Amino acid sequence: MTASILDGIVLGLQFGVLASGLTLVYGLGGVLNLAYGQMAVISALVVLLTMDAGVPAVPAALLGLLAGGLLGWLFDATILRPVYRRKGEARVLLSLLLTLGVAFIVDGYLNWAYPLRGLSLRIGGDAVEILGVRMRMGSLAASGITLVVLAVLFYVFRYTRLGRAIRSVIENEQGAKLVGIDPPQMLRLILILSGVLAAVVAVTRSMVAPVNVQAGFSLTVLGLIVTVVGGLGSITGAFLAGLVLGIINSIAAAYIGTFLSLIILLVAAGFTILIRPAGLLGVRE
Amino acid sequence: MSESFTAAHGTSLVGGAEAHTARSWPNLLATIAATGAALALVPLWVGSSRVLTGVAVLGLAFGCYAIAFNLIFGSTGQLFLCVGALAGVGGYGAAILADQVGLPIVASILLATLAASLIGGLLSWVAVRRSLGVIFTGIVTLIFALSFENLVLGVSSVTGGDAGNPIAAGAETFLRARIPPYYVMLGLVLLFLLVHALLRRSYIGWAFRALRDDEVAAELAGVNVTRYRVYAALAGSGMLGLAGATYSFTAGRVNPTTFGFAQVDVVVIVMLAFGGIGTLLGPILGAVVFTVIDELLIELGQLRLVAYGALIIVLFLWIRRGLIPTLRSLLGGGDDPASRPDTTPGRAVSTGPD
Repeated sequence: MTASILDGIVLGLQFGVLASGLTLVYGLGGVLNLAYGQMAVISALVVLLTMDAGVPAVPAALLGLLAGGLLGWLFDATILRPVYRRKGEARVLLSLLLTLGVAFIVDGYLNWAYPLRGLSLRIGGDAVEILGVRMRMGSLAASGITLVVLAVLFYVFRYTRLGRAIRSVIENEQGAKLVGIDPPQMLRLILILSGVLAAVVAVTRSMVAPVNVQAGFSLTVLGLIVTVVGGLGSITGAFLAGLVLGIINSIAAAYIGTFLSLIILLVAAGFTILIRPAGLLGVRE
Repeated sequence: MSESFTAAHGTSLVGGAEAHTARSWPNLLATIAATGAALALVPLWVGSSRVLTGVAVLGLAFGCYAIAFNLIFGSTGQLFLCVGALAGVGGYGAAILADQVGLPIVASILLATLAASLIGGLLSWVAVRRSLGVIFTGIVTLIFALSFENLVLGVSSVTGGDAGNPIAAGAETFLRARIPPYYVMLGLVLLFLLVHALLRRSYIGWAFRALRDDEVAAELAGVNVTRYRVYAALAGSGMLGLAGATYSFTAGRVNPTTFGFAQVDVVVIVMLAFGGIGTLLGPILGAVVFTVIDELLIELGQLRLVAYGALIIVLFLWIRRGLIPTLRSLLGGGDDPASRPDTTPGRAVSTGPD
């Protein structure tokens, strides 16, 4: 049981980072990015190919983060341009459809060009005993990185001028404009950030289990579930929902089986939507 | 009030042009009959090849799915992302009832259809009651679809898991012959088209259009929003279940990918976007064109996904209203889209407040 809970925390922290990237973009721009998982997969592939070329793991991983940020910038500059011209539900719907198209292009190409490839980073060192459970170094390193990333996100959003500017746009775009904040610029920043977060997930996930080129869609769905449970536009929500769902998932997987544990996650998300939809939906009054 | 104005026009991606043109009954029946006659000739080309006939049967099954999705999404704006799962309820349900419970084929198909219809109706009822909106309806139904997929994989003793199950029932009947399944599915396509046409011409169709154009105004005019949304979901989900069940018997086996989200829902959205959301014949035109393209590109294998992704982007960016309305306005006729600004997505946005 303790082992399942600890595994759940490792997983949950990654869920939290995964969902933060989706939820910020939705909260700020009303854009649902269904190619988010593919951003993570492309970053993982960049790390993999760089390491194949003989570069050590750490610079390769940093290059992966850079690639994620570049992808976010690219999304903002190209496919999302026509999306920004719409408002409300039409914007969400169009963003969903266009990024679904992008997801298919990426999936199709990667499955054709790099079939069955996957990134797994091996972290050396002996297993460490925590609360009577032997934890692998990879899991600990992954959790350490995700914790640091989440802490930085918290700090930036709560205490810096930039974070306040971004939160003000989420709360009231008109008001933010009036006090001199440029919403499109904030949106570009957030998309770059979401790309970097996707890359962080790819790198930390690969320390625990391989990240395959086909993983894009399931990563997006997981992110979406955590986002929906946590509340759209809220990093704290994403973090808490990630932890809760990660622990539920690990316990259910250990005692019931993988497929059914995913159903439990899905049902939990479904019920959250039904019980408090207004608290989860940022754009609705 | 201005907020609800944007919300009502916000879903104008859904706006179909054809719904506004009143067409006479003989005209509609003739259109459906002509479609049926044209499709009835297909076995003359492909009938000699077992593989190609199978492709054509699957194409018609997708035609059925697209018509049903069009009824639910195109007519009442409910984004049901569980087309494959509801068809799977029909397919798996009928297979299990026939093979493991031992019911006659017709009874098992009807029961499975009823089950799909009720599940769809329930999803719709919950969505309307909690006023979930397009996106959250999409997420809830997507969650149902993924749960169904995992359930099928998880309880493999009943469903056969990853590999699926062969269906023993009906193996000796015409359902497994080469050509007859094609005409069975064609019969379903025509039946569904007729039902959709009937609904559109009736009081219910009037309520559907009112709902889609402006939900608030429709409610003020006395349209019972819950009731008509749920009606559309019941009818459309029943169609999905019936088509899924019938197709499974002709295919002789059920497996998860036959009803998967990526394999069914995404394809149906592309078909509908291609043919024209909200039009009568758009879904079937989209299904035919897509099936032909898919077969022509079969050499490309995985790269076909790239083509479909690009197609989705192009369709939703440039041919927003789909082929049928675009063709009609290109050919002229009395259907000038400029006279109806609220069905043109680009225009509708500019009418909203900034």
